[in-house]
Amino acid sequence: MTILCDDNELQELMTAMQSDDRDEMVRMDRLIAAYPEDPRLHFLRGSVLASIGRPIEALSSLRKAVELAPDFAIARFQLGFFQLTSGEAVDALATWGPIVLLPEGHYLRSFVGGLTHLIRDEFDETVLRLNEGIAANEENPALNRDMQLIIDQVVEIQRTAPPSDGENDGSASATSFLLDQFSGHRPS
Amino acid sequence: MRPRDPSGLELVVDPVRAEASLWRRLRFEDDLRSREALFNRYIVLARAVAARLFRRRMTRRIDRGDFDQFAFEGLLHAIDRYDPLRGVPFSAFARRRIVGNIADGIATMSEVDAQLGHRHRIEQERLRSLAKSGDDPLAALSELAVGLALGLMLDGTGLIERADTADAQPSAYDSLAWRETQAMLASEVGKLPENEAIVVRQHYDQGLSFAQVAQLMGLSRGRVSQLHRAALDRLRKRLRTRRRWP
Repeated sequence: MTILCDDNELQELMTAMQSDDRDEMVRMDRLIAAYPEDPRLHFLRGSVLASIGRPIEALSSLRKAVELAPDFAIARFQLGFFQLTSGEAVDALATWGPIVLLPEGHYLRSFVGGLTHLIRDEFDETVLRLNEGIAANEENPALNRDMQLIIDQVVEIQRTAPPSDGENDGSASATSFLLDQFSGHRPS
Repeated sequence: MRPRDPSGLELVVDPVRAEASLWRRLRFEDDLRSREALFNRYIVLARAVAARLFRRRMTRRIDRGDFDQFAFEGLLHAIDRYDPLRGVPFSAFARRRIVGNIADGIATMSEVDAQLGHRHRIEQERLRSLAKSGDDPLAALSELAVGLALGLMLDGTGLIERADTADAQPSAYDSLAWRETQAMLASEVGKLPENEAIVVRQHYDQGLSFAQVAQLMGLSRGRVSQLHRAALDRLRKRLRTRRRWP
């Protein structure tokens, strides 16, 4: 039995999703039923659920993707990032653990380094490592935008007086799971 | 007063996801802390609904505290029944249940209950929890007095961190010694075992009855009463070691 679905099928699904197809979840669930072991489908499902405000199910799909393919680095990164934006920093760090094993200079390793500094409120190092990651990342522009948003916020609180409570505008929601980061990536 | 610096984590946390993670932990991972965190998050809503209904009440025989109690109960029911996967915001779901519970509670409240008032009932509960039997009666009485005094000090210490109480002003008439002891007590509550701390926080700070604390924690009312007593015993011992205490 084939574990991974055909690239064409995957491409078709993504095209349907980008064209605002209303029954995207039905199509996706049908594909997952046919290829339950394909981590890319679970990752995709998790990304879509996260973007439409169904976080509990999103997390379980993202976890499933990483469970099926522990070396699927982008899924692992996004699972950790999802946990971070859910306020579950300890879980995020645990998820990201294996990313440190990526080669020095890999953008995901830099991003994880930067976000780890962010959790510790080490803002200078956060900006340094995130910028390092952005410079190294040429394959995933959406992720660069998300990291740039975080840099901007960090720079802002460093520059101005501490903002009052409630100023956090939830711009983490802009850390969208944009689908273009995903295309053509097969888990290794 | 200088506002607190934002933490790095606060910059990236999405409130909707953070709440979803509390529901997930509560529903699928049996996490006790999440239940309390959700209750604390929505107690403001319960109080607001109670205040609104209290202003519109048709009877003068029932006090505001009773409205709050029914509102808390409604909130607890709502937390138990809410399905976070259905996509309905919890506040909308809970509001209806809180309103319904207050209306039902007030309608069925007996004349005697109404006369006693919730304050009296809460004090009775505390007394029963603290009173020991079989000991030397004088020693028991003295312990009881200290226990009740501790309770009095704990009332309204603001043990639960709230953004809007960062600058709570003590009354000018509170003696320095009272305020110091109260502050010490509040810091000791933070060091209590988890279950005991929850009982103290919810009972004294939020004004929940033991039955409601029991529902919140998924324990029996008797167990909550025991935890209450254990917590006050522990606090008394700790305060004795920190300073001279009767």
